[in-house]
Amino acid sequence: MALEFDRSILGQEFDRVEREPVTVDEIVAFAHALGCTEPCYLEPGSGLVAHPTFVVRYRGRRFLPDSLPDPLKTRMSFDAGKDIDFGVPIRPGDRISVGAALHDVYEKTGRTGTMTFVVVRFVIRNQRGETVATIDNRLLYKD
Amino acid sequence: MPTRRFDDVHEGDELGPEDWFLAKDRVRDYARANDIAFPRFLDDEGARAEGLPGMIAPGNMSMGLLVRLVEAWGGIGCVRRLGTTFRGVVLPDRTLRLCGAVTHTDAAARTAELDVWIESDEGERLVIGTATVALA
Repeated sequence: MALEFDRSILGQEFDRVEREPVTVDEIVAFAHALGCTEPCYLEPGSGLVAHPTFVVRYRGRRFLPDSLPDPLKTRMSFDAGKDIDFGVPIRPGDRISVGAALHDVYEKTGRTGTMTFVVVRFVIRNQRGETVATIDNRLLYKD
Repeated sequence: MPTRRFDDVHEGDELGPEDWFLAKDRVRDYARANDIAFPRFLDDEGARAEGLPGMIAPGNMSMGLLVRLVEAWGGIGCVRRLGTTFRGVVLPDRTLRLCGAVTHTDAAARTAELDVWIESDEGERLVIGTATVALA
């Protein structure tokens, strides 16, 4: 049976957090773990920026909204993938805020049955209001 | 800043492949640096307690490795968009193959569209995706 829910919940921000200023150590440790060798990701100084995918560190206090359709609340989900639009780079001292909204809920039927996808959109900005990244995180729920 | 010139890029051009041994310590370092130090990313025992066959690498780490591949080709800061689908579990202590190919170019925008993917040492595509890249 198709999942029914109030589509007016889509797009409503359900969480917003502001994080502590980004540190040099955080940026460097992240780049080291990915095996980066470029000085702009590793060497402290005015040229240091975070690796683009550093943005995936940022999550809210709540990963899903209370308004999630009831049939999904008790089921286990899997991370099916992400789409990231990159904006301005993150630099040491940036104060990052994260807003989260339920972006989409849809179903697909395949050989293994019906799968439900929940897309949570995270909009990540710095202290100047510049967009650092928009991340659509797809969660997969199997019947 | 993108360093690869638009005029030097053509549909069908390949990125890599780059073979990369994914050590368990590297995965642990990434999980801690990414603030996701969950048992499944730290050791086999913790992963088995979560119902997994053994320690796995975070999907986010795969995205980071793909951006590394693309930036090595196009220059630091060239990636405008990356979309990925996590199709299979990435297991550490194995060699991954990072791959990509140009699928489309846009002269007006001076961008290229790429297919990117990560293969296991058995040739299975564990992570697939697309990227939009700015060119010089």
